[in-house]
Amino acid sequence: MKIIATKKLWKYLIWLGLFLATAGLATGLVANEWGTIPLALIISGTVIIGLWLVLQSQESNWWGRRSTQAGTNALVATLAVLAILGLINFLASRYEVRVDLTETQLFTLAPESKELVRNLKQPVKVLVFDVAQNPQDRELLENYQKQNSKFQFEYIDPQARPGLVEKFGVKDYGEVYLESGNKRQLLQVVNVNDRLSEIKLTNGLQQISSTSTAKVYFLQGHGERQLTSGEGAISQAVQALGNKNYTTAPLNLVEKSSVPSDANVLVIAGPKRSLFDGEVKVLRDYLNQGGNLLLAIDPGTDPKLDSLLTEWGVKLDNRLAVDVSGSVAFGPAVPIVTEYGQHPITKDFGNSISFYRLARPIETTPVPGVEATKLLLTKPYPNTWAESDLQNENLQFNEGKDLKGPLTLGVALKRKLPVPSQANPSPTPPANPTATESRMVVIGDSDFATDGSFAQQLNGDVFLNSVNWASQQDRQPLSIRPKEPKNRRINLTSAQANVLALSSLLVLPLIGFAVAAILWWLRR
Amino acid sequence: MGVVLSNIVAIYRRELQSYFVSPLAYAITGIFWFIAGLFFILILMGPDGILAAVAALDTQGQQFGVPVPPIDVPYEFVRAFLDRMGWLLLFVLPILSMGLYAEERKRGTLELLATSPVTNWAVAIGKLLGVVTFFTTMVVPMLALEAIALSASSPAMPPTIPLLGHLALILLAAAILSLGMFISSLTDSTILAAVLTFATILLLLFVDLIAKNISGPIGQALGYLSLLKHYNNLIQGIFDSSSLVLFGSYIVLGIFLTAQSIDALRFQRQ
Repeated sequence: MKIIATKKLWKYLIWLGLFLATAGLATGLVANEWGTIPLALIISGTVIIGLWLVLQSQESNWWGRRSTQAGTNALVATLAVLAILGLINFLASRYEVRVDLTETQLFTLAPESKELVRNLKQPVKVLVFDVAQNPQDRELLENYQKQNSKFQFEYIDPQARPGLVEKFGVKDYGEVYLESGNKRQLLQVVNVNDRLSEIKLTNGLQQISSTSTAKVYFLQGHGERQLTSGEGAISQAVQALGNKNYTTAPLNLVEKSSVPSDANVLVIAGPKRSLFDGEVKVLRDYLNQGGNLLLAIDPGTDPKLDSLLTEWGVKLDNRLAVDVSGSVAFGPAVPIVTEYGQHPITKDFGNSISFYRLARPIETTPVPGVEATKLLLTKPYPNTWAESDLQNENLQFNEGKDLKGPLTLGVALKRKLPVPSQANPSPTPPANPTATESRMVVIGDSDFATDGSFAQQLNGDVFLNSVNWASQQDRQPLSIRPKEPKNRRINLTSAQANVLALSSLLVLPLIGFAVAAILWWLRR
Repeated sequence: MGVVLSNIVAIYRRELQSYFVSPLAYAITGIFWFIAGLFFILILMGPDGILAAVAALDTQGQQFGVPVPPIDVPYEFVRAFLDRMGWLLLFVLPILSMGLYAEERKRGTLELLATSPVTNWAVAIGKLLGVVTFFTTMVVPMLALEAIALSASSPAMPPTIPLLGHLALILLAAAILSLGMFISSLTDSTILAAVLTFATILLLLFVDLIAKNISGPIGQALGYLSLLKHYNNLIQGIFDSSSLVLFGSYIVLGIFLTAQSIDALRFQRQ
């Protein structure tokens, strides 16, 4: 009796085996990792199923039956066909022929993009922090991935991966980040109106995969803004430069007789005391050899750079820019800039806000060989003017002493280098032998880039773009033509519209139903 | 070979004839035409239709002097319409395929077929060809309607993309019908066959959604199996050989499995 019972129980072993195998598969799939536990489950499940098969065949000579043989044949044949079809499809997906039949090649990557992705040296990953996966975006990303397996992408649910969100500093759904090695950058924010763009993606890839780093020196020794965090420091700006692939270092010209040759930009941010004549000479030499300077000079200080700046046609005004346009958040001493010059630094700014606490206006006079562009313009008078009398508590414009707005708070300048004559070799080798011009950005304020202000509004962008432009590293973005569908309309006449509506909603269905009814009637 | 071919043709003709005298087939066709026509009109001329939306954009652009981004209206229309048709297949095709073998089983004619000298796979091919032909006939009037609409497009639209899209529609239908035929051969209940086919198609359409959440090669392989993904690829104008191979594989698999299942039946009866 007991033996029969156990024998019967053996029958149910198959369920245990199947259960274990399924559980193993499920855990493996869910965890997406084939560690010990899923493997152990699958193996034990398979072993139990095998055991069951052996027991079954012993019990009822199951293998000998003809039906089993035929069944096995069918099973083997089916498995073989499945394997063959799987293989064919695998090969087909590997060696697929893709023809984009749309007239404007909507779904084909531009040759520049293909070239760039194929030549990626380091793995690059695109992370899209969004729950919804737009098929168009996905298609684009898959197109990139087909070019090179070093290109990866992943959709991430921000709520499910708080760690990653923290790491990338994600603020909103739809943010797209590029990651390569330990470099990260925000590419764009995708939403219903703004889909992932090939232009941005390719240019972002170009930026993040480039290995060249530009070096930015910060002049020290005259009370300039500190690079490490502290009162009025510009540590955030320095950190942001680091994220943008720049290396930064302080520079003290008292110890050195020249600007280091690896300098792409020299930043002089908010000196409180004047520079020595020798230092100014070093700066002049540096500029004459294709050097680049970013000056941020606060009012009430005199860095004694006037002689240098006059050569470039720049004059630092000693008055204070005031803005009484009635901004509640900022006082009159904080001019707000919403108008920007047509220049690479400010071209994307539109009329967004940047602000400059305690700033001085800058005047430019044309100098042959120097191309000057006004970058930052305050609102016109009577909203802003340059105040000379700072003792008086009553802020008012005094004709003759004060300067009417709009004031220029920042200018960008570039000067072509004279072609070096071979006959007269200069005693010092030029710092940057390939440079053909030197660039300078002068801003009448250094407050805007200090910690706290840096992260607000466009202030950070003003600083970063200025450094980027001045460094002469502004790689020309690849000019990829945006993919646009052909412009086409359907102009239905009312007669056509009527025919369409009538035939599709009335005539066709009625024909179907009428024939059905007649046939049914005849058959009856 | 010639005998097999003539066998296939014979089965094909018998199938086709049975469709064209069946009131049920015409009733299904009528419903299909009505729903497809409804989609057609709503997408094109409905209050939220593509013509109304683009007209609103154009007038807005004129009023405010903003340039309207280029829109390819006929292309978008064909794509949207074929997309909805893909979903409509989900409901129509199981009804078409449910009776293919289940009806024969119920009426007891399946034994005749199974023991006849015609090979099982020739029968399956003939039946599949018949039902695909019938479905194509259902689609042709819609194609005529589209032709009227597209003829009004300016500038004129080349027919490549609509043609590729409809080829994709027929291929998708053939793949689904082939699997439906296999399911129909398993049971003598037409309703069960229809429900099972519906479930299978739903799974094959949605495997894409599951695959999106699984990364790595397994996810890729699963995503590759998705019928909808390949269909969408084709209707938006990307001719992809792997999509054709996948549709072909589903068709072959359906025919093979049907033949196997009828073979099993032949063996059981002996």
